[in-house]
Amino acid sequence: MSIMEKINNLDRRIIYLLAWIFVLFPLIFPLGLPIPISSDARAWHSYVENNVNDGDTVIFSPMYGTSGMPELFPMTVATMKHLLQKDVKIVVLSFWTEGPLVFTALLRQVNPADFGYVYGVDWINLGYVPGSETAMGALATSFQNTVANDFVEGRPLSNFAIMDNIKTATDIDLIISFETGTPGASEWLRQWNTAYGVPMIVGCIGVSVPGMIPYVNSGQISALMPGLTVSAEYELLLQKPGLAVAGVDAVSTSHLLVVLLVVIGNIAYFMTRGDEK
Amino acid sequence: MVDIIAVWTAVFFTLGIYSILYRENPWYRIAESVYLGVAVGYGVSVDLLYIRNQWSGQWSASAGMMLLFAIVMVIGILWYGRFNKNTFYLYRWPLAIVVGTGIGMALRTVIFAQFLEQIVAQTKTPFFVAGNMGTTINNILIQIMVPSVLLYFWFTGTARESAPMKVVEKIARYTMMAGFGSAYGYTVLTRYSLFIGRSQFLLGIPPNDPENQLAFIAIAFIMLASMIGWDLTHKTTPEA
Repeated sequence: MSIMEKINNLDRRIIYLLAWIFVLFPLIFPLGLPIPISSDARAWHSYVENNVNDGDTVIFSPMYGTSGMPELFPMTVATMKHLLQKDVKIVVLSFWTEGPLVFTALLRQVNPADFGYVYGVDWINLGYVPGSETAMGALATSFQNTVANDFVEGRPLSNFAIMDNIKTATDIDLIISFETGTPGASEWLRQWNTAYGVPMIVGCIGVSVPGMIPYVNSGQISALMPGLTVSAEYELLLQKPGLAVAGVDAVSTSHLLVVLLVVIGNIAYFMTRGDEK
Repeated sequence: MVDIIAVWTAVFFTLGIYSILYRENPWYRIAESVYLGVAVGYGVSVDLLYIRNQWSGQWSASAGMMLLFAIVMVIGILWYGRFNKNTFYLYRWPLAIVVGTGIGMALRTVIFAQFLEQIVAQTKTPFFVAGNMGTTINNILIQIMVPSVLLYFWFTGTARESAPMKVVEKIARYTMMAGFGSAYGYTVLTRYSLFIGRSQFLLGIPPNDPENQLAFIAIAFIMLASMIGWDLTHKTTPEA
């Protein structure tokens, strides 16, 4: 059997082993490859910096579960740190069951109290709201009727000063949604953006990016954070390097591996095609 | 102590799931089954918490509200009718309500959010942007490619067989191939990002617990040794 035939019939476990090596090596021995800042990262940073004004009320929504954390968690943490540097009201909620778990993990890294934020006055966690798009629509018409108690203390929303001025979607100035799928941007667009004109910025996993671009081009999504590499750029813009920056070398090497495998696989295929005939 | 148990448990289940890369094995089965059980249990518990909060928060306020709440609960229980042949038809009622409500809610604005806005954005895209060659080329491509792909899916009439349409079809095919390639590239990014995130956890890269590294080495060794040892002693070769 020639080398090319061996490559064509390569044991998949060899490829998995290579994937482990190409990912673990740069994590253990960081290569320090340069990270150029893209326009996506600049747009996101600029939007939060310049369009979120003191006194604004922001919905901060981790719309993903633990499986989405490796890609979305770094941008969620970085954006929360950026927001907390401003004087805004933050309403945390999720239409995904595991959303509150994600936010609890975030609180282990970022404590709003360190930024002078008081729970119930400057920010509130409404937890998980079941019902997907229907619940989104209901929440837009009334926070108090859709969510009975807050997630942290289990008390009625009327007990919290922050909720005195937050009744419907018209009281919200911005939605920041981090998401892996449905419900997500499309539902926010239909129930909040188009219906009430609430601006939104979206952080999403790479798979979702081609579907999001038309909404960015049309201006419906004001800024898009597509995946881990742009998270790293955003962390650099904030001068708060975190997990995304630590992982970006591994992104480069792992993609290099995929390109090499595609090229070698194609060469092997074309060189052995005649033999099969 | 609790933290150490949590770390070792998390590392065990992470590696248990990854052990499928070698072959089907009991470590993977344990991790898969426990994950499914925990995920479903968690989902049910947070849903029940929401229902309890709704009851105490507003629906227990008056007899009329209580009656409405009871009716909704009964409709919800009808979902379980599908598990019995005799009561199967009952589950169609909650299904009809959920589907009807969902479609109604979405249709309210879908025509604006996902149709008209896109057409408006397309028509507003300028062919030429002064001083920005990159955007100009991008916009010209958009103005050519979007109508081409739309025309590609126009299946009626004899015009489809005309010579100009053949050119349009070719442009559309290249456009879609570029789109699929882009989607594939982003998919690779996502899959590797998940893997990288989990690797950072296994290596204990801050803010992850440094204890993870020891657990990673120990558990990976035990899992690999048990699987390879089994294959060697039983002289089996895992399927490629």
